[in-house]
Formats: sequence, structure tokens, C-alpha cells
Amino acid sequence: MIVCIAVVGHQNNPLYIQSFTEADDALKLHHIVHCSLDVVDERVNNPKKSGPMINETFLGLLYPTENYKVYGYLTNTKVKFILVTTDLDVRDADVRNFFRRFHSAYLDAVSNPFHVPGKKITSKTFAERVSTIVKSVSFNTAG
Amino acid sequence: MVREVSESCMDSLLTEIVSSYCNRFYANKPELAARRIEAIGYQVGHQLSERYTMERPRFSDHLEAIKFICKDFWSELFKKQIDNLKTNHRGTFVLQDNKFRWLSRMSGDPSMEISGASQDPSAISENKAAQATGMHLYFPCGIIRGALSTLGIPCAVSADISNLPACSFVVRIKV
Repeated sequence: MIVCIAVVGHQNNPLYIQSFTEADDALKLHHIVHCSLDVVDERVNNPKKSGPMINETFLGLLYPTENYKVYGYLTNTKVKFILVTTDLDVRDADVRNFFRRFHSAYLDAVSNPFHVPGKKITSKTFAERVSTIVKSVSFNTAG
Repeated sequence: MVREVSESCMDSLLTEIVSSYCNRFYANKPELAARRIEAIGYQVGHQLSERYTMERPRFSDHLEAIKFICKDFWSELFKKQIDNLKTNHRGTFVLQDNKFRWLSRMSGDPSMEISGASQDPSAISENKAAQATGMHLYFPCGIIRGALSTLGIPCAVSADISNLPACSFVVRIKV
């Protein structure tokens, strides 16, 4: 289950953060997202030399905690998407697919002429679309 | 579904933006009008580059980003690529378009002003035409600056009309 999704701007300013769980307090999830930003920076500045996917937008698993897995995605425009999930058995392809759908929702939100670049995304349509995407995704291969 | 934009509508809109800002809102302050038109272009470029870079890996250096502007970005906007790209390898790039779409319907030849004697009235009107043409280039300049800034490259963009409808955009990357 996805418990938290965040959009972070190029100066590490939060643009959108939403948690989808009752069990954990939001602050803990915000903390996890915050910690992951350092990992993103590290990945970008010291890319692994192996593989042709050196500048891919999808950054893969950033770090696992006891209960969560954190995935990252960095667009060409230096906007970061952070995903926190409780699922343990996750296929990269599913996460990749999720991020792609999330990215197009984000694009439509920032293309709104009334959206001010660099400010928080307040669009209700975006919030609805994100929760639809989150609900439709289940990473666990078991079910 | 493929979304399309009517070319003639776009041409008319640009002409109308320029004439509104130059002749109505800021009739006596052409610099201010230019800045406002450039700012509109900036926002358009910002949003377009966000969209057009979605499916591609991140750029590793400035040249790659500029190449993206010349090829893919220009094709999306004008259905053609930039004809010539020059650089001094120290942060200045010159993007030349031999038939810039937004100038292709423009009449009057600004290159005449150099040859004509400065005193006769036709030369003055030519000069005015060149100024008006220059006003139409602040919008595309803003688009380029917006697109590059969004990609993390702060820069200044100016335009240069050699002979219509060719024009070149000079990109100076700030360090």
C-alpha cells in the first residue's frame, strides 16, 4: 500500500505532500520524505558507472526502513517525486509505471495557467487524480 | 487524440499581444512592454519544457539541453529544427532559424535601413518597421529563456534580425 507521495521542487521546497494512511502520523512520513532528499542528491551527484541508464528519471529504491520502502524519481526540470510504500515485494516496473502516470498528472497540474511555478500545488483536480492513481495501484504481486 | 493549434490563430494572437502591450498598456515605455511580453513567453517556455522533457533521460550538460531546444523543442513548436547552431564553448550559443515561422508573414525589410540614407522619410519608416519586428521577437526569446531556466540553466536570450524571415537567437548562459 502506498502511504505517502510527495513532490519536491528544485530548491528542495515542498510542492505537494499527501499521506494515505490513518495508522501513522503524517509527521513521521514527512520525516522519511525529508531524509530521502539527501539520498536523491547523492544518487545524482555520484551516479553508478554501470549501466546505460545513467541519467534515467527513475532513481529506483532510495532506501528501505523497517516498515517502508522509499522510491524516487527526478524529472528533467529537477523536480523530485518521492514515494513511500509499505509493500515489501515490489517490482521496479510497477513503480516505474506508477511514476509515469503520476508525472503526467503533475504535468497537467503545473500547466494550469493559474498555477504559480515554484508554489505549492493546490489544485483539487490534481489531488483527486493522485488519489485515483494511488488507489488503482497495488504493488504486491501476491495481491 | 492529437491536439492541434491553429497556426493563423497563433499568429494573430502574437500580433495582438504585441500591439496591445506596445500601443495601449505601455504606449510610452517600450522597454516595459518588452519586459512584459518576454515574461509571458517565459511562463509558456517553462510549462512547455516541463511537458516536452517528460519521456527523456536527464541532460548531462548544457550542450545537450541546447541541442534539445534546437531539435525536439523547436520541432514541437514550429515543425522544423533550428538551421544552424554556433557556440564559442564559453557559454554563448547562437541559434539561427532561416525561416522563422512567426516572422514569415511580416512585411518590410529591416536590412534596408542600413543602406538607406538616414534623412529621408522612408528610412525612418524602415527603422520603425525594424522596431516593430523586434517587438515580436521578445515572446520567442522568453520561451527559450523559460525552457532553459526550467532545465536548470539560467541564461539571457536576445534576438537578432539579419534579413527577414531569418533570425538568430543569442543565448548567454550565466555562470
